[in-house]
Amino acid sequence: MKKYLFAAAALTLLSGSAMAQAILTANIEPATTWVRNFNPFNQTSARQSTLDFIYEPLVIFNRFDSNKPVYRLAESFKLSDDLKSIDFKLRPNLKWSDGKPLTAADVKFTYDYLKKFPALDFVSIWTFVTDVQAVDGQTVRFALANPSSLAAEQISQLPIVPEHVWKDVADPVTFANENPVGSGPLTEVPRFTGQTYDQCRNPNYWDNAHLKVDCIRFPQLADNNQILTATADGTLDWGVSFIPDIDNVYVAKDPAHFHYWYSPSSMVAFLFNLETANENNRKAFNDVKFRRAIGMALDRKTMIDVAGYGYPTLNEDPGLMGELYKSWADPSVKADFGKFATYDADAAKALLDEAGYKDKDGDGFRDNPDGSKISFSIIVPNSWTDWVDTVNIAVEGMQAVGIDAKIETPEEAVWTGNLIAGKFDAAINSLPASASPYYPYKRAFSASDKGKTRFTAQRWFNPEVEKLVTEFTQTADLATQKEAMNKAQRIVAENMPMIPVFNNPNWYQYNTKRFTGWSTKENPFVNPSISRTNPARLLNLLALEPVK
Amino acid sequence: MAFLLRRLVFYIAAFIAAATINFFLPRLMPGDPVQIMFSSAGTELPPESLQALKLTFGFVDGPLWRQYLTYLGSIFTGDLGRSIKYFPLPVTSVLGHALVWTVGLMGTATVVSFALGTFLGIVAAWRRGSRFDVIVSVGAIFATSVPAVVTSLIVLFIFGFTLGWFPNGYAADPSLDPAFSLHYIGSVAYHGILPMVTLCTVLIGGFTVTMRNNMINLLGEDYIVMARAKGLSDRHVMLWYAARNALLPTVSSLAIAIGTILSGSLVTEVVYNYPGLGNILYQAILARDYPVIQGQLLIMTATMLIANFIVDVSYILLDPRLKGA
Repeated sequence: MKKYLFAAAALTLLSGSAMAQAILTANIEPATTWVRNFNPFNQTSARQSTLDFIYEPLVIFNRFDSNKPVYRLAESFKLSDDLKSIDFKLRPNLKWSDGKPLTAADVKFTYDYLKKFPALDFVSIWTFVTDVQAVDGQTVRFALANPSSLAAEQISQLPIVPEHVWKDVADPVTFANENPVGSGPLTEVPRFTGQTYDQCRNPNYWDNAHLKVDCIRFPQLADNNQILTATADGTLDWGVSFIPDIDNVYVAKDPAHFHYWYSPSSMVAFLFNLETANENNRKAFNDVKFRRAIGMALDRKTMIDVAGYGYPTLNEDPGLMGELYKSWADPSVKADFGKFATYDADAAKALLDEAGYKDKDGDGFRDNPDGSKISFSIIVPNSWTDWVDTVNIAVEGMQAVGIDAKIETPEEAVWTGNLIAGKFDAAINSLPASASPYYPYKRAFSASDKGKTRFTAQRWFNPEVEKLVTEFTQTADLATQKEAMNKAQRIVAENMPMIPVFNNPNWYQYNTKRFTGWSTKENPFVNPSISRTNPARLLNLLALEPVK
Repeated sequence: MAFLLRRLVFYIAAFIAAATINFFLPRLMPGDPVQIMFSSAGTELPPESLQALKLTFGFVDGPLWRQYLTYLGSIFTGDLGRSIKYFPLPVTSVLGHALVWTVGLMGTATVVSFALGTFLGIVAAWRRGSRFDVIVSVGAIFATSVPAVVTSLIVLFIFGFTLGWFPNGYAADPSLDPAFSLHYIGSVAYHGILPMVTLCTVLIGGFTVTMRNNMINLLGEDYIVMARAKGLSDRHVMLWYAARNALLPTVSSLAIAIGTILSGSLVTEVVYNYPGLGNILYQAILARDYPVIQGQLLIMTATMLIANFIVDVSYILLDPRLKGA
């Protein structure tokens, strides 16, 4: 009898020690080798699992739920009535992963630190805030440079770091932060090699009750081939990869568990440089009828199906709202101008005829009404093959309606440089995806950004639109914001400075074999992407449960 | 001695000139590292982060000439700065990791192709005019004329993709951690075969042709006739009388071939995604990682000059006419 008891006791001990950890395998970034860098301010070189997973944001705004705030380190925030200052209140009894308390002093320290080391300030927050004060141990007050209803979102973009660690860092810009002390769910790094690393549970995480995943493992995958292999054989649970012909290559391998969901992300559009050096092209580009005709010459369906494997989302909205911002779209704008962003080659020809673009020199291509030649190249980065295919389809469409368009494929860097400097005739380009159309509008149509970013490459500016975009940020009232956006999108749709074709996919593959609870197309509770630009990835992680 | 001094002065001048070109060449390419990060990130990076990035990588550290002076100073201190792509790793450690693979690959390929090429050249010269000679000579000229990039693509396509006998990339199975185990070393060897074969194909012809021509020039010499008259065996005469003397110019041509070896290995590494210096350079150029490009070109310049200097010294040792110069 004794013997049996002993055996039973030994068994329970054994099973207790052999409790398997719930390890999730993910892919955020391709890499030829992992470099151990968890510095949350190194935006381009730190491991992309640093933000959110090691350094939790104050608040996460849920784009998939009308941008509602989900409180994380902060339990509340309050914007003053004049929108000139904002208070964040931290949760009580927060701790860093090393057990030391996390207080308002750490928040203030972080912001002062960014002022001291501008190289760390990757969102130029100090052009946005003028002063940061710890009101008490739990409350931080930010004074804003200009009234803004978007203050909480701007401020939550930055990680909060522990003062007791960072105050002694000699050069925080080159500090690799190999053993991070953080506030997020996965702060411990038990294993790190060039080929793989693990990020595991923070013993002092305030929300540990909801965290069912013990570790995320990041295998080093160098290129599409390796990513494809790791995805198709079920190694990966969570991915952001491009997989060609995904239904056959991936889903068919295990239809019960292998899934993907590509929601719309950044908008892709064709554009003309309204200030191009080529005088004859400039005449045509500045004629809205010409731009509208081109808009109707583009076979968007073929671009999506052939060039994009069917992954992108169709965008036929000259007001640039599309599927992504459909809650912001004014239906009357689409009714009035939608036809100009819809494929119809005959209508394109008719409009060009009507506007006087006829072939005067008999070379088979249309010329300006004054007889001068129109001939341009569309630039696209040579390594972005899906875009190159898209441009080829566009060129065919333009030639079919009598426009002498060609493709030009410079290196990525040259393409960017030319868009910024305005040294091109026509191009394909994209605009950032955001919670509301405010951000892409601000990026594309701010005259002060001219020559600074590639988003203003079309060189189309309109004081009225700029005024409306500013108005948008100076009120917290949704109805007023909507009104400003409606006016702005009407002006843009009427002038058609950009010709939208589709929205890029928000890449997301997930595997339900080992974990369930994912955000899915049927239950889209948050943006599910594990990309570093999506803080809501933390919420997707917290919703997961290992399969028993 | 005066000859050597003259050469030394020339090399130092050449090195400074090359170092200067190394500094300005990458900067003359369109686009800078920060712009490339922006285009690669798609729409992810806010333009506000531009300034922060420039500060991070020190692109606002004053005018170009000051950067240039800093760079010249860094050559002699051995501090080559920090990589941009692999920030904050120092350039020296980025290149250090890669150097091992390249030296391994290039070293083995050079030894193998030199030995094999020389041997083929000896035999071809000895039996000049025979079918063997025709096949070897034509084959050698053909193999050297085909650019390394074409050879590596063909070899990769046939043995890597089509037949699937060998891996298509990497220096070892990425799932293995580096260790002194039979398993890991085997994996390294297996992954190295195709790049090796490619490099040997590119290099072997040059050595064969040089050796064959040197031999043929010597075979008419009186001491060869004398040796044969003494009744020594063919093989003995071929190896100990002719080949031994014909080898001397070949050894010095080895240093001159370093340029070919370097460029060949650059291309080969890129095609086979081999983690050596060539691949690092290629990736660095794509990312406009100035510090890495500079460091890399510096290494290559130094290698070439040192190799040439060794040749000069060996000429003095080998050619009695230069002794008094």
